[in-house]
Formats: sequence, C-alpha cells, structure tokens
Amino acid sequence: MKIIKIAANVVSSLYRRVFALLLLFASINAAGPQASAAQLLQQASPRPGPTIGRAAVEFQLQTLEGKSINLESYRGKPLVLNFFASWCDPCRDEMPLINELAGNSDKGNYRVLGVAVEDSRAALDEYKKESHLIFPMALDLNNTVKRSYRIFGPPATFFIDAQGVLRDMVLGPLTRERALDGLGKTAAAPKN
Amino acid sequence: MKLFSFDRQKHIAIYLACGLLAACSADLAPFGESGGRAEPVRFGAEISLGSAQANPAAPFLRAAPNGRLFAVWTEDTAHRGPKGSEHAAHHASGKMAPSPMRNLLLAASTDGGTTWSSAKRINRNNEAIQAEENGPKIAFSADDRAYAVWSIPGEKGDKTRANIRFAMDDGKGGFSAARTLNEVKDTARFPIIEFSPDGNLLIAWIDRRIDNPKPRQLYLMRVSTDGQALTKNYSAGEGLCECCKLGMAFADGGKTVYLVDRQVNEKQIRNHMLRKSTDGGASFGAPVEISDDGWQVGSCPHSGPSLGRDSRGWLHVSWFTLGRSESEAGIYYSVSKDGGKSFAPRRLVQANTAPEVLYNNLAVGADDTVYLAWTNLDPENRAQIFFRTIGADGRWGEIQQLSRAKGDASRPMLALSKKNLHVAWTETDGETSRAVLRSAPISQ
Repeated sequence: MKIIKIAANVVSSLYRRVFALLLLFASINAAGPQASAAQLLQQASPRPGPTIGRAAVEFQLQTLEGKSINLESYRGKPLVLNFFASWCDPCRDEMPLINELAGNSDKGNYRVLGVAVEDSRAALDEYKKESHLIFPMALDLNNTVKRSYRIFGPPATFFIDAQGVLRDMVLGPLTRERALDGLGKTAAAPKN
Repeated sequence: MKLFSFDRQKHIAIYLACGLLAACSADLAPFGESGGRAEPVRFGAEISLGSAQANPAAPFLRAAPNGRLFAVWTEDTAHRGPKGSEHAAHHASGKMAPSPMRNLLLAASTDGGTTWSSAKRINRNNEAIQAEENGPKIAFSADDRAYAVWSIPGEKGDKTRANIRFAMDDGKGGFSAARTLNEVKDTARFPIIEFSPDGNLLIAWIDRRIDNPKPRQLYLMRVSTDGQALTKNYSAGEGLCECCKLGMAFADGGKTVYLVDRQVNEKQIRNHMLRKSTDGGASFGAPVEISDDGWQVGSCPHSGPSLGRDSRGWLHVSWFTLGRSESEAGIYYSVSKDGGKSFAPRRLVQANTAPEVLYNNLAVGADDTVYLAWTNLDPENRAQIFFRTIGADGRWGEIQQLSRAKGDASRPMLALSKKNLHVAWTETDGETSRAVLRSAPISQ
C-alpha cells in the first residue's frame, strides 16, 4: 500500500510539473509569437515622438561648417526644421521652396535648418553647391535625430515656435500653402 | 497553490486542455507552419572587406559558377583633382572624404569567405559611384566572366538624375572601360544585373526619361556576354516608386523573367508588384499585387523588395512596409506557389522595434530553404542586422542578430556559394563606414 501511495504521489507530482510546464509553454506561445507589431512598438518605443503643441524634440547636431547646434540655439525665433537627403526625389522637388523660405527668413524673423539623413558630407557639399542652397545644414550622424523625430523617410518638415514648441509638421513633400500655414502657426511673418 | 490541490482527474483534464491550447496557439502563431523552429544557422566571425581608411560601403555578394565567392563594394577615393594626398590627410582626421568620388572594388574568396584576394578596381576613371539602396551589382556568365553595373549622378551632380554604368571582365585580369547604358542622359538609377539561363545579361533599372507624369518607369536592356547591346533600352512598366531597389528571377531556361518593384499610385500608396515575362523579358504582363499593404507615404522609403525562386518554382518575396498604421510596420514575407499568379497572405518576419524604414534581402538555397536578412533597431536604438530562415518544410527559424554595430548596420546582402551562406552589410559610425561579412556552413 505504502509503495502504491508513494507511486501515486510521484505521478501526481509529475502531473503538476508537466501541467506547470504546459501552462508556461502555452502562455509563452500565446503571448510571444502572437504579440502584435503594435505591442512590440509600444514596448520598444518608450520615447514619445514629436507632438504638436508640445516641446519639440531636443537635438544635438553639427553644421557642415562644424558649429554645434541644438534646439536651444534656436530659441527666440521660429525654426523651420527640414529633413532631407541628396538622393531623395521629393526632397529635391521641394528644395527650391525650402531655399526660398531660407531667403525670406530674415524678413520673416525665422530660421531654417536642413538636416540630412543617410547622407555624407561629400554628397552634401556637392548638393549645396550644385543647387545653390543657402541655409545651414547638418548631417544626422547615426540617424539619432531622424529616429527621435520618428521619420519614416525624407522629406519631413517641422515648424517650431520661438519658445521651442512644435506647432506643425509635414511628413512628405512640403507645398507653399503648407509652408505658409506652418510658419503662420509659429507666429513668424512669412513673405509670400 | 490551490491549483495543486486538485485531484488527479482534474489534472488530467487540465493537462488535456493545456495540450489543446498549446496546439491551438502554435497554429495561430504567425511563424512556423508546422510548429517547431528550424535550427539556428551558425555564423563565423565578422570579416571586414576593403581598406578601413577608405570607408568601404555597399557590399554586394555573388558566387560564380566555378564556386568562387565574389564581393564588390565602394571605397572613397581622392579628390577629382591631382592632389591625391588630400585623401590620406583627410582620413587621418577620421572624417569621410570631402569628395563624393568612390571606387568600385572586387575581391574573390575560394575558401567560403574566410580569406579574400587583394581587391581589384573595376572603374577605370574616377566616378561618384552611388551606394546605399542604389549600390553596385555584379553578375557572372556561365564561363565565370564578371559584369558590373553601378549608378553615378548626372552631369549637374544630381543623384536623382543619374546614369547607369556597365563594365565587364576584359579577359586580361582587369575590367573594360565603363560605358553608360541609358540612352537618354541623366535619367536612370537603381540598376540590377542578372545572367539569364538563355546565355545573355538582363539589366533593369528605374528610369525617369518620361518625367511627366510621375512616377517612374521600369526599363530594361539585354546585353550579350561579349558586351554587345542586344536591344535598345525598352520600357517594361511604369508607376514605380522612385527610390527603391528592384529584384529579378528566372525560370524555364530564361524564357520566364520575374521582376519585383515597389509601386506608387496617385494616392501615394506604395505596394509591391510582381511582373512576369514569358518571352525572355521582351514584354511583361500586367503587374500582380503581392500584398495590399496600403502604406501611403509621400516621402522616400528608399527600401525595395527582394525576390527569389526555388527549385519547385515557388517565388519568395520579402519587403518592408509601414502598412496602414505604424503598428503594422515591419519586414514581411509572402510566397507564390502558382508562378506569380497569386501570393499567399503576407506574414510578419519581424515587427519594427522603433519608427524606422528597414532594409531587407532574401536568398533561396538549392534545398529550397529561404534565408532572410534585414535591419531593425536594438534596445540602444542602433540599427543591426537580423536573420532567420524558412525551411522547405515551412518551419521558421529563430530570429538571430548578426551584427553588433557601434553605430548603425544597414542594407544586408545575402549570397549562397556551394557550401556556405554569406551575409554582408555596411556599418556606419559617425562619418566612417566599413563593409562587413559573415559566413555560415549550410547543407543543401
């Protein structure tokens, strides 16, 4: 009898262990591979992206001329922050407009900064010369600023007011209307 | 703890219920058609290609019919002027060359990617050879002759109004002088080159000679193995996304040609299409949508699809999409088992770990195993190379991280030689870059 009892206890214990293992396996299988992309994104992206009406995302960059700049450097005047690349067709299409905005920036009391993504200094130097670009540019080395601004591909333009608050953003090519609208929201005085 | 005081019958019932649940969850899982996981692939150590001081980038791999593995990549070169010494001085400062000029280098390995021959320059003249998504490609004829294509900016330096260059093994240990393939100047980029089983080379690219209405056209050209143009440039389709690489595969001894591209429609939705030719690439039927992802984006994804065909004639495609919302973003895979008439519903290879365009590549082994490599972000927000397999039996392998880049790792390229699988990629850190290779033995 005693042997039977011991055997029964062993079997019972075995059942418990197998059950616990199965439960664990089932929960891993259910929550692991089936975890949606949304869940994974939420887990992995604790930092919020740019939000209109909130402080713009901080950045640290160096212009092509070697000057260190950050968001704070632009306090006091609205900023048009344009992400582009020398290889990007829609960026090239909108670049005359960005250049025009830069040309009017003194009168309009705002500033323009170009941030090149996935590009090289050499390519930017060429692009600047070739397209007669007149605004300051910085290379986004290691894509840190692009990532913090959650950009899925250039071009993208952000309108930041004099206090560093994001007032508007255009993900994709910028039009004249959207540019004037965005600048208007920063209380800059754009020239038509 | 109360759970463990149940009697034996209840345990048995729960045991069965759990078994059922486990079985069901395996069925519902997005990976692993037949449940279990394939064995991980054992990769060797990293090997750097090229000269570290010259910022090697954009590696592309291809095995020749004789089994030798070849790699091509770009390296920065001196100013276009005669003052070559500026190059070295600049690199001593640790910064990227101030000139956009790059060389295209070629090296070979006879031991499965472990050691490499000294690099040979393909381009005779200094050119601003493009890299990243628009990197150089190489193909081999049946008699192991090498053919290379690459893109250079147009006359005014515009990378988006570019030209396709072509050079071939000159039979004397070097390469012929490069010539431009696009007949209309400053209109072509994103070239791919493949040696067709019919004995000729087929070259495809994205063209903008008809610049309005946008978007771009798919252009092809057929070239003989002695470098003679067999056709003029000809259009094989339109509506292409302007900055995403193409993919090509053959069947029926070269009579059937498959091409994949990212399309863009008038609403800026960028789904992928397969185009099929049954006359050796002379003409193509209506494109077949691979997946209705619905990614609407006016900007440049700069990330094209990848295509492979297995011995059963199945077509395998991988791509990146953000889908209809950021929550769908990731690398996806689909297969066509009917020669490209239809595709199975897309399956997630890996979800984006952060908002980022990811890059992917796919290769198919002789045993029909599908090898997938792509980029994604690690917990430190650095882009790394990831990898997994899909066995011929449908079993999905675990995701493996292949790179440990200090900066970013990007644009993986896969190739298969007789007994090995190879993955190459570019690592950038600040203004420097390196071309990296890892190889793994495989049985096929």
